[in-house]
Amino acid sequence: MSSAHAIKADLSDANLRMGSAGSAIQSTAGVVAVVGLVASAAIGYTGAFGTTHDFLLKSWLQNYMFVLAISLGAFFFVFIQHLTRAGWSTTVRRVAEILAANLQWAWVGLLPIAALWLLGGGGHAAEGDAHGHAAWGPGLLFPWADMEAMRAHHPAEADLVEGKLGYLNGTFFWIRALVYVVFWGLASRWFLKNSLAQDESGDVSITSKFQKWAGPTAILFGLTITFAAFDWMMSLTPAWFSTMFGVYFFAGCCTAGFAMMIVVILRVQSFGRLQDVVNREHCQDLGKLLFAFGMVFWAYIGFSQYMLIWYANIPEETGWFLARQVGGWGTLSFLLLLGHFVVPFVALISKWTKRMSWYLMLAAIWMLAFAWLDLFWLIMPTIPEEVFTASTYMEVVEAQADATTGITNPLNATMLLGIGGAYVWLTVRRVRSTRLLAIRDPRLHEGLGFENQ
Amino acid sequence: MTTVQTTIPAANPTVDPASTTPTWGLIAEFDTPGKLLQAAEEVRKAGYRWWDCCTPFPVHGLDGAMGIKPTILPVMVFFAGLTGTTVAFLLQAFTNAWDFSIWALVWVTGYPFLISGKPMMSLPAFIPVMFEVTILLSALTCVFGMFTMNQLPRLHHPLFKSDRFRRVTDDRFFVVIESRDPKYFHSRTREFLESLGASAVEEIEEDAN
Repeated sequence: MSSAHAIKADLSDANLRMGSAGSAIQSTAGVVAVVGLVASAAIGYTGAFGTTHDFLLKSWLQNYMFVLAISLGAFFFVFIQHLTRAGWSTTVRRVAEILAANLQWAWVGLLPIAALWLLGGGGHAAEGDAHGHAAWGPGLLFPWADMEAMRAHHPAEADLVEGKLGYLNGTFFWIRALVYVVFWGLASRWFLKNSLAQDESGDVSITSKFQKWAGPTAILFGLTITFAAFDWMMSLTPAWFSTMFGVYFFAGCCTAGFAMMIVVILRVQSFGRLQDVVNREHCQDLGKLLFAFGMVFWAYIGFSQYMLIWYANIPEETGWFLARQVGGWGTLSFLLLLGHFVVPFVALISKWTKRMSWYLMLAAIWMLAFAWLDLFWLIMPTIPEEVFTASTYMEVVEAQADATTGITNPLNATMLLGIGGAYVWLTVRRVRSTRLLAIRDPRLHEGLGFENQ
Repeated sequence: MTTVQTTIPAANPTVDPASTTPTWGLIAEFDTPGKLLQAAEEVRKAGYRWWDCCTPFPVHGLDGAMGIKPTILPVMVFFAGLTGTTVAFLLQAFTNAWDFSIWALVWVTGYPFLISGKPMMSLPAFIPVMFEVTILLSALTCVFGMFTMNQLPRLHHPLFKSDRFRRVTDDRFFVVIESRDPKYFHSRTREFLESLGASAVEEIEEDAN
């Protein structure tokens, strides 16, 4: 398309590099990360606020998946722009590349889980220590890793899970995990590295290279993200299965990733950077993506998964949703539906809402909060015992009427501050050391002059 | 050798102004989108209301230069969607869960209909239909609302008579001012358009009825 307006964006480093700006955010994030992690460890080990070991582990997993989702969403943004040869996004792509490049640290989040295998071997969750805590072991997080305990407590479930042990076993689990983190780390790093190289050389063939490899990247991304969701979240309830689970997590990644992109870009702009580079037109398009993928697509997939299971009404499938609609979980599920879909759908449907930066910023932070809650909702609940014993649905509901979600446990906050703080520290460090625009992208002119009308 | 006498109509017959078909308007041709944007800006400032710009492709910033107000179409689509949701819900509730009668030319009675042991009022089962009807009514309203507001479909337009105007699908950009504009005054508007840097200004006749 033709734009007759003269492009007046300042492309000097004064506008495109943070320099000393943002150092306060970086150091604050570093301190918050250390304090948060230490406090989390303290709460976890002392068992304060009734915190159990499995809650501690799940909280780690949930917050790790949250920051992982941000980076995976941003990574999706990067290669999908190359795949579609998009011009408009050249002005915002570097921020996505930076967020995605955090994936090179994805392996760190798996260390505590690896430690479970090293510490516990096949430790039985049932035995426990002197304080009544379950012994450390992989069975604490993944029931399939401790079949003896499952056989003892839930023989019917164990029957189902035994058939899956060819997939769900420690060795294969870790081989897959290695494949995921290595692919994510290398691929996201490759996109950032080459984009930075193009900043220096202006070599157009780099863009051709991106476009050539964006396709294979998309395929591998789809596979790794799906199986990572199966491995790390769906297998927490190993008897349960849903082929849509991976897509659901992907929708969550888009929510978190696009929302974080908006937050980072608008925050950077408040330092007087990226002026006239990222304008209302780009904000509107980022808002559209957040709206379409983060709200509508998420709700569409979430409902599709729910409705099939609700309609078929097969016990080994419904248990997972039953756990999420009894007691406090019922309230939380409704909150999630309202906050992740209904409210932002109405709030962000009009054009003007996406073009006002403070409003869009508010919406992005809101969506980040609910992306976090979505993962809490996915990871935290355990299928109530009554599901295996009760004869009617109402019996389960009544027995679980007082079930609490654990959302008020301070560990949720400390863990979020710890892992989230570390993530922000990593991100701000790179934001401050990198030019924030792919300055010699061959489509940059198109991106700068982009208008929605 | 035979000479065939053919009648070639004059390109621009000069006839008595009083007897010509009335003027529909003036078109001004521009070479570049940049010149068109500037011209559009000036036409808007001059206070014309019945005018338009015609281009081979979307020119960014033209809406702003012309001062075009946002369309009401999204609002129509939103309420059409809302209507779809409501109608689909009521239809399913009435045919599955409610058993009162309404008069729709004849008396129609709702029929509680048990399907696969689900509750009569099963919202999850209703949602796919509600979703689809919402999309259906939104899309239809969007397309036909756009047609109506653009006065489409339309088989002919006075502009189509101009040979010059044909290049609007290729590489020329036009400002069109209609004679029904209260500010339109033939000679003055022509001078005005020429002053904007138009490469040509041409008069368009009203369709003869």
